[in-house]
Amino acid sequence: MGLTSDLNVSVQSLMASTEAMDVTTTNMANINTPGYARRRVVLEESAPSGTDQSSTGVDVKTIQSLRDSVLDLSINANTSQQNLNSTISSALSAVQVVFSDTASGSIGSSIDSFFNSLQQLSTSATSGSLRSNVLTAASNVASAFQSTASVITQAQQQADQSVVQSTSDANSLLQQIADANAQISSAQNLGQSSNSAQDQLSGLLTQLAGIMDYKTVNSSDGLTLTTADGVPLVVGSKAYSLTNQLNSSGYNDVYAGSTDITATIEGGNLGGYLQTRDQTLSTLSTQLDQFAYQFASAVNTVQTSGSDANGNAGTALFNPPDTTSGTATGAAASIAVALTSGSQLAAAATGGASGDSSNLTQMLDLQNQSLINGSTPTEAFSNLTFDIGDTISQATSNATATGSILTQLTNQQGSVEGVSLDEESSNLLLYQRSYEAAAKIISTVDTLMGNILDMGVTNPGY
Amino acid sequence: MRVNPNYSNDMVNLMDQAQQAEDTAAQQLSTGRRVSLPSDDPAAESAMIAENSRATAADQYTANSDSLKDVLNTANSTLSSVVTLLQRAVSLGVEGANGTMNQTDLSSIATEVSNIKGQVLALANTSYAGQYLFSGTANTGAPYATDATNPQQIDYAGNSQQNQVQIGTGLSVSANLPGSSIFSQSGANVFDALQSLVTALQSGTSSSIATAQTSVSTALGAVDTAQVFYGTTVNELTSNETYLSQEKVNIATYQNTLVSSDTASAATQMTQAETALNATVAAAAKINQVSLLDYLK
Repeated sequence: MGLTSDLNVSVQSLMASTEAMDVTTTNMANINTPGYARRRVVLEESAPSGTDQSSTGVDVKTIQSLRDSVLDLSINANTSQQNLNSTISSALSAVQVVFSDTASGSIGSSIDSFFNSLQQLSTSATSGSLRSNVLTAASNVASAFQSTASVITQAQQQADQSVVQSTSDANSLLQQIADANAQISSAQNLGQSSNSAQDQLSGLLTQLAGIMDYKTVNSSDGLTLTTADGVPLVVGSKAYSLTNQLNSSGYNDVYAGSTDITATIEGGNLGGYLQTRDQTLSTLSTQLDQFAYQFASAVNTVQTSGSDANGNAGTALFNPPDTTSGTATGAAASIAVALTSGSQLAAAATGGASGDSSNLTQMLDLQNQSLINGSTPTEAFSNLTFDIGDTISQATSNATATGSILTQLTNQQGSVEGVSLDEESSNLLLYQRSYEAAAKIISTVDTLMGNILDMGVTNPGY
Repeated sequence: MRVNPNYSNDMVNLMDQAQQAEDTAAQQLSTGRRVSLPSDDPAAESAMIAENSRATAADQYTANSDSLKDVLNTANSTLSSVVTLLQRAVSLGVEGANGTMNQTDLSSIATEVSNIKGQVLALANTSYAGQYLFSGTANTGAPYATDATNPQQIDYAGNSQQNQVQIGTGLSVSANLPGSSIFSQSGANVFDALQSLVTALQSGTSSSIATAQTSVSTALGAVDTAQVFYGTTVNELTSNETYLSQEKVNIATYQNTLVSSDTASAATQMTQAETALNATVAAAAKINQVSLLDYLK
């Protein structure tokens, strides 16, 4: 009890209100800062003072950051998934064009034209111009395979360049995360608030999630980041930077230290580029090679079993790529027409007359035979169309679905962490009033003390 | 419950979605297609590839039929001329065999029959677009020629093969009939029969003339029968062309259902998307105007 303790309580209150207004100002200033979680002053009664312990003032216990770390984690995980899928969808969009039904000079339409030219020739097997047409159509088939193969290779190379770019982006983020870790642990050691370093870390983690998926573990020296299967990326204040090394296909693999983590990255842009390059396009390229190889081999087999216009045994129409190895690798990129003249087409059966077209009939039958891994040539092409279309369509709808989830989560995050100007304005009023009240008490105490001191002055005669 | 004070993200998302829906509808309206790329509808696109292939094949089968019909019609009319000539030879034979003519008349008839034989030879060697019609598949050379040692004998240089032309999936027709099945069938050889008539007329023996006339009749019957092949095949081609044109209509209809956009629904979607976009934009502009700060003085 006593005026002095009232004065002390009021000063404490002034300081608490000032601090509270500081926090409000900080919140308002950071309303648009990514990763920022709104802060709140937590007040508590201070230890009682005065002779009867009746005077208790107010203390700022702590400044709390309203961060929901579980929500943050699931936002990051969904960000990884969304970026993975949207990257796949956009990286493949250039490739799917050559598989569409309207693409001029596609493999499908050029194979149709090739068989049609053979049909035409079968009505007049000795016609020189019709024979030339067949060779032209065959070389169109070869260039359709070549250009499609080159579209795929280009898309793989672009994805590869993006892998290198994303790796370097990830490295810079990993370093910043390690730095934020260091700041947090040094602030905590000194008993200071680490709120701003936490905000920064949270923003960095979301950015990193956009590039790659990772796991986090809280440890004594801050956050530890590892890949999905536990290869360390950041431990405390140390970042393990990622490096690129060329693999046997000439593409860049991603290493953390000396560990190849290429296959374990399954999220973010980086995951999307890797999946596009090493899975979707790589499979497509293999299928295309087999297509080209088996198609060329089937045509050649029929061609070499007949006689040409001059009665000679037929020779291969397409130069089948690398017959010695017997593998199809690179077939689509290197398929070409081996014949130089239409007269070399073996329209006739062996020993057949010059106008015989029975070998052409054999050749035409190929159109409806299951040459390409159990499919006819047209089916093989339409299967590829379906596969690429389906991959993109799935990735797009996954990206849309994750997008909706992400919107939901971001809203939820905003409802917890987001700064509301209305709320802060009303807080400001509140703290302003409590500041005014404390100031009023000080001036009242001042008056009261003055009165007491004045008592001696106005009655000097006692 | 505290609400998310930051609605700009939501607004941007909603505007993006409305914009996207509007773009899609506009694209469907302008292209007339619901599916432009494989990812728009993988199954429809993949079916389109197969249908395109069927459609071009149907076009090609039609073209095959057309060019085949030209050849077959030429052969058919050639054989009609042959039949007319042989009928004339038969009636000449009948005239010669009735025993009322003197040797001079018979000789002049013999000359006419001999001319008929030459005309038939020329017709049997008819070519169309560089191909001999009656050589079998050895159609780069003339099928019939006078024998080098026996000028009265006509030799067949062709073969007995037939070419097949596809006019549909798994459906083909023979594109030719070899001369050996028309003019030089064993027991009904046109040239031998005509030559025997010439020889008999020159000899003047009524009975031999009658015998020779009978064999010309037999040969005529054989040619007549062979001619049926051409008429039948042309008919088959014509009805197949009708089928193919119907098939193309069916394919086009199916392709339409696969990838075409429904103009009415695309237009409706576009209007809906535009309304949604306008509403979102208006709402965004309205909401952001309000703040407590405006009321604190």
